[in-house]
Amino acid sequence: MKKLVLCFMVVLALLPGVSMAQDVVLEFQQWWEPELPEGSFRAILDDFEAANPGIKVETISGPYLTTKDQIIASAATGTMADVVGLDGAWVNVLWKQGALHSLTQAMADAMYDDSELAAQIQLAGETYMIPIANFIYPVFVNLDMLAAAGIDPPSTRAEFAAAAEALTDPDNNVYGWAQPLSLEQPNGIQNDTMSWLWATGGSMLDDMGQPNLVDNMQLADTMAYIKSLHDAGVVAPGAFAMKENEKVEEFVNERVAMIINTLAHFTLIRERNPDLNFDITALPAAEGYDGPRGLPYASWGIGISAHTVHKAEAWKLIDYLTSVEGNTKLTSIANAFPGNVNATPDFIQTDQLFMTAFEIFQEGYLANEFTGLPAAEELMRRFDEPFQLYLEGEMSLEDFLDEAQAEWEDIFA
Amino acid sequence: MVAGTAGETQEPASFMREHTKRKFLPYAYLSPTLLLLAVLTVVPIVTVFLYSLFDNVIVNPNPPVFVGLENYEEVLTHRKFRAAVSNTLYFALASVIVHFIIGLSFALLLNSRLLSANVKAFFRVIYILPWVFTASIIAILWRLLMNPHGVINFVLLEVGLIPELLEWLSDRKLAIHSVTFINIWSGYPFYLVSFLAGLQGIPDDLYEAGRVDGANAWQLFWHITLPQLRPIIISLALLDFIWTIHQFTLVWMTTGGGRNTEVLSTYTYKAAFSSYDYSEASATAMVILAICTLVAIFYVRSQRMADE
Amino acid sequence: MIGSRRQILIRKILVWIALILGACFAGLPVLWMVSSSFKSNLEIFAYPPALIDESFSFQAYEAVLSDPGQLRFFFNSYLVAILVTICTVITSILAGYSLSRYDFRFKKVLSLIIIGVQSVPPITLMIPYFGLIVWLGIYNSYAALVLTYMVFTLSYAIIMMTGYFNTLPRDLDEAVMIDGGGSFVTLWRILVPISLPGIVAVGVYTFMLAWNEFLFALTLTRTNDMRTVPIGIHLLMGQHSFEWNQMLALSVLGSLPVLILFLLFQRYFIAGMSAGSVKG
Repeated sequence: MKKLVLCFMVVLALLPGVSMAQDVVLEFQQWWEPELPEGSFRAILDDFEAANPGIKVETISGPYLTTKDQIIASAATGTMADVVGLDGAWVNVLWKQGALHSLTQAMADAMYDDSELAAQIQLAGETYMIPIANFIYPVFVNLDMLAAAGIDPPSTRAEFAAAAEALTDPDNNVYGWAQPLSLEQPNGIQNDTMSWLWATGGSMLDDMGQPNLVDNMQLADTMAYIKSLHDAGVVAPGAFAMKENEKVEEFVNERVAMIINTLAHFTLIRERNPDLNFDITALPAAEGYDGPRGLPYASWGIGISAHTVHKAEAWKLIDYLTSVEGNTKLTSIANAFPGNVNATPDFIQTDQLFMTAFEIFQEGYLANEFTGLPAAEELMRRFDEPFQLYLEGEMSLEDFLDEAQAEWEDIFA
Repeated sequence: MVAGTAGETQEPASFMREHTKRKFLPYAYLSPTLLLLAVLTVVPIVTVFLYSLFDNVIVNPNPPVFVGLENYEEVLTHRKFRAAVSNTLYFALASVIVHFIIGLSFALLLNSRLLSANVKAFFRVIYILPWVFTASIIAILWRLLMNPHGVINFVLLEVGLIPELLEWLSDRKLAIHSVTFINIWSGYPFYLVSFLAGLQGIPDDLYEAGRVDGANAWQLFWHITLPQLRPIIISLALLDFIWTIHQFTLVWMTTGGGRNTEVLSTYTYKAAFSSYDYSEASATAMVILAICTLVAIFYVRSQRMADE
Repeated sequence: MIGSRRQILIRKILVWIALILGACFAGLPVLWMVSSSFKSNLEIFAYPPALIDESFSFQAYEAVLSDPGQLRFFFNSYLVAILVTICTVITSILAGYSLSRYDFRFKKVLSLIIIGVQSVPPITLMIPYFGLIVWLGIYNSYAALVLTYMVFTLSYAIIMMTGYFNTLPRDLDEAVMIDGGGSFVTLWRILVPISLPGIVAVGVYTFMLAWNEFLFALTLTRTNDMRTVPIGIHLLMGQHSFEWNQMLALSVLGSLPVLILFLLFQRYFIAGMSAGSVKG
């Protein structure tokens, strides 16, 4: 009788685990699951589990905006999940905290050949994050509005400014460009501001990777160029509090003709406004520049907790998600460019616009200098504040860049 | 009878027991509260206080270093911190004052004898509507309304009150007022309900006596209503002041603390979760705690005066 | 006589005008929220805006209501809010009784602490608080949420209960005491039944706060089966896109329980609030 009860209790205790007691359960914290079609992410993980008996993956999913805070809090209290989704903007702080396991180490332990990986994010010479899905930021243009104004998609800064001017019609609430500069989500500094610099082969850092905002001709030119757009009145109103998603809504509602925007919005824009006739083009470069154009991008990166006891199993999961098979599946549902150089997501063959994007992607190079920087989001924010004052004419270009430089040095110190 | 005699013979012992019982009973009744507060608030507060005295806490590989009051010095002398203090004061004081005015006006209106009970009940529900939504939704709603192409601009433009679209949340001069307005909208119902309660507690004969003396409506309000509500007003204002200083979500999700709307709560949040300088964030938190505790002491004082 | 009747009429009209203006201030933003929840995500940003347009549909509500995950959020919100309400009410009755009926040595200090607890900005406590909850072993459980919201609501709940008890004459309980009832009997049999308005006020206040809290609900839970409606709303704010209409629909649905609660108990609630604020 006693044994029976004991058996019963054991069974009860095991029930939540569903399967055998020997299974290793990996916790996988990310913000991707809610971003993807329902059940599709789980399906990929199920495939992984089928291929790796004895490992179960339990997803811990949350909203993107708060995932960072949660991962940092859990790292501080030693409760971080075994495998975590990482953003280039906050990989540095977790690394500093000692919360991340070296993937260089993990790859060596697994004798993994990393030649298929498109990129690895390294800190102090070792890899801590592998981008597995990349979202590039080309310029989206509203073809109908361009046609009505009789212009072609712009390819240089001057053409862009002229096009924006021609497309702007304040009486009808129509503007050429939108630049989201919200201080709550300051990623507009990365995607809609610094991207102009990278597209012209410029850099905001010096050779040592330190801030280089003062006496940086290309940067000063770029900022002056953006100010000229604001001064010309071709930028949609509300820029200083606008967030990324509001920029997209303006574009979808045909109040803004051109935006720099992530490919991740592709399906969304089509769903919101099926009648919208739009195309994508590379970010305009400065006159006379014909080198490769840096393409801003955002990634879904992945890393392993320094404190997990299942490092080998955790690596197996990353191995799967970066393999041709797993990476193709994931990037296909995410509309992202792969982290494995040999993976080819479906949409690249089936969708004309994605083919264009892929060409842009191949002609340029991925450029996001904020990835891996300390307190990257705060860097953007502290750049944003004097930048807004400069755009309003409250601050000179020199003062703005001096102040931004000082603020950045403060963070780098 | 038997019980009575037993009681008499045991009187000294029982008296003693009663006495110690009376001494410990109040603590016994308070014990669940005290236990909860001791574990769940005193412990974290002390932890934050300790953080504020060290450098390299939490998000840092190096071991914490004791730095004494250095973090405080750094915070208190920082230009942005001072700006945040003055913004917070404007935000909190304006909110408290306007909350009071709107709350009282609505309460007087809903207390009017010219309205039937059903009408009052209906409008009471309408008037407390802003109270039932979570702060993040209020922020999103007002971002929609105050969008340059939102309905507020549309209506004001159509009516001719503004010459062009206004950038409510992104104009450097407007933003702090817009955020304060949103906070006012979301917070007044608490005053309304409390004042409604207070007004119902004012005895009718006070007004009768006033009318007999020939006082007009304004004089009745000034000499009877306001003085009668005074304890409520003071306690509401002080509590609201504390709550408004803590208001984070509304400010953060509407302006992100930019455009001259940096308040102490957004400043603290950024220090902790954006700059990852937890020591500084803890020092800021302690400053806020000090300000609010001062207000709380006033509150307790005012309560005691009301009691006496 | 006619003049005074006319005066009353004029005053009545003025009161109604003020009443409707006030209702616009309070209600129009909410009306806009409701109307937007019936629009398509495209039309929510249309200019010129319209209260109702051709995109009107129940699609957002259907999406929210047909999603078992969202319904789970509602279940969790109800469960947590009800548990918190019960616990806070009982705890605050005990504490209020103590502060109202007894004089003891540390009364001043203790009441200052109870009120002072409110002065701590919640965001800064997050990391140590999170660590504490993990240490207590209640991370990602209802218990974590219930205890946290009790901490948030207790201060004001105790202020209200103490105030309410203060308005009740002491003769009442002294009579029972003399009849041989213990203090607990007095509290339970005499004070509690006649304090219903105060208790309702504490209950409604607590319920509202627990129902709407976001920051801690998010930090202290990690799986969706423990999360509440405000987090459900946030989950609709993606990295790249917002499901505006579903978010608004979920907020409208989420506000209904609180509104109904107020509708049912408003009389008690207001009566109870009075004592709470007159004397704390």
